[in-house]
Amino acid sequence: MKELVCVSGVELLMDYFEGVLSDEMRLAIDAHVASCPKCTAFVASYRATPRILREATETTVPEELQASLKTWLRSLEP
Amino acid sequence: MMVSPSAPGLEPSDASLAARAAAGDTSAFEALVERFQPRVYRLACRLTNENDAPDLVQETFLQVYRHLRSFRGEAQFGTWLYRIATNVCLMHRRALGRRPVESLDQFLPSFTEDGRHAAMPADLQSASTADDVFDRQLLAAKARDGIARLPELYRDAFVLRDLEDLPTSDVARILDIEPATVRQRVHRARLMLRGYLQHLVISQHGTRGGGRS
Repeated sequence: MKELVCVSGVELLMDYFEGVLSDEMRLAIDAHVASCPKCTAFVASYRATPRILREATETTVPEELQASLKTWLRSLEP
Repeated sequence: MMVSPSAPGLEPSDASLAARAAAGDTSAFEALVERFQPRVYRLACRLTNENDAPDLVQETFLQVYRHLRSFRGEAQFGTWLYRIATNVCLMHRRALGRRPVESLDQFLPSFTEDGRHAAMPADLQSASTADDVFDRQLLAAKARDGIARLPELYRDAFVLRDLEDLPTSDVARILDIEPATVRQRVHRARLMLRGYLQHLVISQHGTRGGGRS
């Protein structure tokens, strides 16, 4: 099994989570992360980032926009 | 996450509504607009901003209406609509020109000479769920700021893949790039934004989030 250092593991994280790495590489990352507290913390924060930003940028459609879309839709009716 | 959420038997599928709308059934088109307006609005906010988003939503649905007959069902309707909405937003951004923004490069992870992490990464998971660390409104504003500071190619892929939660294959189709390119751009965006969020945690609470990088 290949031995990794932090920097090369970080570069492979997206492919790791997308499931496109070879079994050998995936196992090498698992082994490194299990033995490296900084990588364990890094992976947790890497995984948390999309969720935090997704939740922080949730929106609801403004009522004015809903109303103007309805007005436009009514104008399409025969 | 799938773009087409309708459950068979409970409500008409996107494809059947699209077919009826293309045949002139305005109530079917209304149902599509009703179904997709939250996602199109959210996408427009994330790819541009809240001020411009309403006009871009209207432009998107106008284009969808005009081109409904060209929807052949090769892709899911939702993916086809996302492609139109994304193009409307990108054209709008292009027309405005790129305003200078402060790069996020400084937030990329740093390593020692032998390739190890230079510092202990912050615990974003805990920090983001603790109200005393991240004020919700402040986080929303900072999140929008961080996303707007991404290089545009990274931003588009990140918004579609991670914020809209579309499969990488759909993002590749929408942006007309290879899946591997999507993964590379999303990865770079995640690294920058991870470091940016860590910076916010540390700025607010010193090293409580876990340490400097």
